[in-house]
Amino acid sequence: MRFTLRSLITLVILAALLAAAYYFFITRGISYIWHWESIPEMLFYYGPKSAEDPSVHLRMGILMIGFVMTLKISVVATFFAIIIGTVVGIARLSTEPITRWISSAYVELIRNTPLLVQIYIIYFFAGSMLRVSAFAAGTAALAIFAGAYVGEIVRAGIQSIDRGQMEAARSLGMSYAQAMRHIILPQAFKRIIPPLAGQFISLIKDSSLVSVIALADLMFQGQQAVARTYYAFEIYFTVAALYLVLTFTFSMATQFIERRLRISD
Amino acid sequence: MIKAEHVYKTFYTPDHRKVEALVDFSIEIHKGEVVVVIGPSGSGKSTFLRCINRLEAIDKGKLIIDGVDITDRRVNMNKVREEVGMVFQHFNLFPHKTVLDNVTLAQIVVRKRDKAEAVEVARALLEKVGILEKENNYPSQLSGGQQQRVAIARALAMHPKIMLFDEATSALDPEMIGEVLDVMKNLAREGMTMVVVTHEMGFAREVSDRVVFMEDGRIIEEGTAEHFFTSPTSDRTKLFLSQIL
Ligand SMILES: Nc1ncnc2c1ncn2[C@@H]1O[C@H](COP(=O)(O)OP(=O)(O)OP(=O)(O)O)[C@@H](O)[C@H]1O
Ligand SMILES: [Mg+2]
Repeated sequence: MRFTLRSLITLVILAALLAAAYYFFITRGISYIWHWESIPEMLFYYGPKSAEDPSVHLRMGILMIGFVMTLKISVVATFFAIIIGTVVGIARLSTEPITRWISSAYVELIRNTPLLVQIYIIYFFAGSMLRVSAFAAGTAALAIFAGAYVGEIVRAGIQSIDRGQMEAARSLGMSYAQAMRHIILPQAFKRIIPPLAGQFISLIKDSSLVSVIALADLMFQGQQAVARTYYAFEIYFTVAALYLVLTFTFSMATQFIERRLRISD
Repeated sequence: MIKAEHVYKTFYTPDHRKVEALVDFSIEIHKGEVVVVIGPSGSGKSTFLRCINRLEAIDKGKLIIDGVDITDRRVNMNKVREEVGMVFQHFNLFPHKTVLDNVTLAQIVVRKRDKAEAVEVARALLEKVGILEKENNYPSQLSGGQQQRVAIARALAMHPKIMLFDEATSALDPEMIGEVLDVMKNLAREGMTMVVVTHEMGFAREVSDRVVFMEDGRIIEEGTAEHFFTSPTSDRTKLFLSQIL
């Protein structure tokens, strides 16, 4: 509840700052002619799609198409990042030295190289060798990147669960895997929701980097729109606002889930 | 039922000190016997219990549980553990599961009972430990004594042949110790094979067949509870008893 209120206040302050900056622009007479009126049609418009598809419908504009793509990339990458992170988190705590070594090499490698470079490598490697789409390559790069961080969070989460939980589960005859699945991971995940949420908010923002491989996400579509109209300020403000919608909704949702799960403690 | 022959267990602390938790430790415990283990802190009582269900692996010696040599690498330890229930000082209930789910979970995933059967077994045991009305509560909503009784029911639900109790009442407020000891006494009278680490000498006197006094990983003295009350032989036993009685 406290955090919700705080983020709301932050949002209001942010909006006020933007408004102030905007006002400053106009009153100081910087000769920029605003074209906010062209933004709505970049979100939705009513009309034909193209010469080939002249039927008149309510359609998504250039930015909304990018918004949906960013949402798609983020959801798919988050899903795989959780899977990768869980495997890596468990592997980091393995009694097998090789498993431990490989998983920590992965984490170190990913965390100590720039995401942008990783995106290029995966795109050119996977794209040319395996002939996968830009969507698959971009999403994979994000999932692999976030997976390393999620792995560290999961590891810390598992370690934070009292040793007695594993012992109790094992003493009842459960295997290590059964104990992990039924006892340790459910408790660990509940505990790591806040850092995980932070990680996935980063993922949403980092997803803007996949625009470099011509994946038509929100950032890419924004750039296209600017190239076409030169309304850089209006468009990038709108793009920022759309990212904010995604991240803010996500952060609200996780807080809701966290509150719901807190019942049993 | 439990046979330990010349068992050694050594721990190495993070600062590389060597701690000999069990030294040439031998004991035989028969079916239906109730053995109380006493001894000062660090004497190896918990280690002995934890070796019985191999939460710790022993370094040397032989440990035979219900006819199975658990030092044999080919033995499926999960199978052995199904037959050995353990009750911990700090209960170790699963906090994210209700009381009922705590008691049914292992039955379902380990014993492969179907849900309805597991619930039936669980209800009967919760009734037996006198806590059926809390079946839908979470552990954090129960008192310590209630939690420990649930933990006992959880272990019993696997229908184990042996029950291990590691200071099951030491973390409890005094007024709750009785309710847990009562459950343990009933179990003892029903013929369960039990190894009980406790300093409750009243319990030892009432239901135990044998008391074992340990120090520095060795058995110093053993005998009936009466023997320990009236005529302990070792000076160390006398000193220890004078501290706890
Ligand atoms: N995992 C471990 N790593 C290092 N040393 C350990 C470990 N477990 C136990 N020990 C040491 O082994 C010795 C025996 O421990 P144990 O827990 O069996 O004693 P205890 O008789 O149960 O004592 P208490 O009454 O305090 O529970 C102690 O000196 C303890 O510090
Ligand atoms: Mg102990």
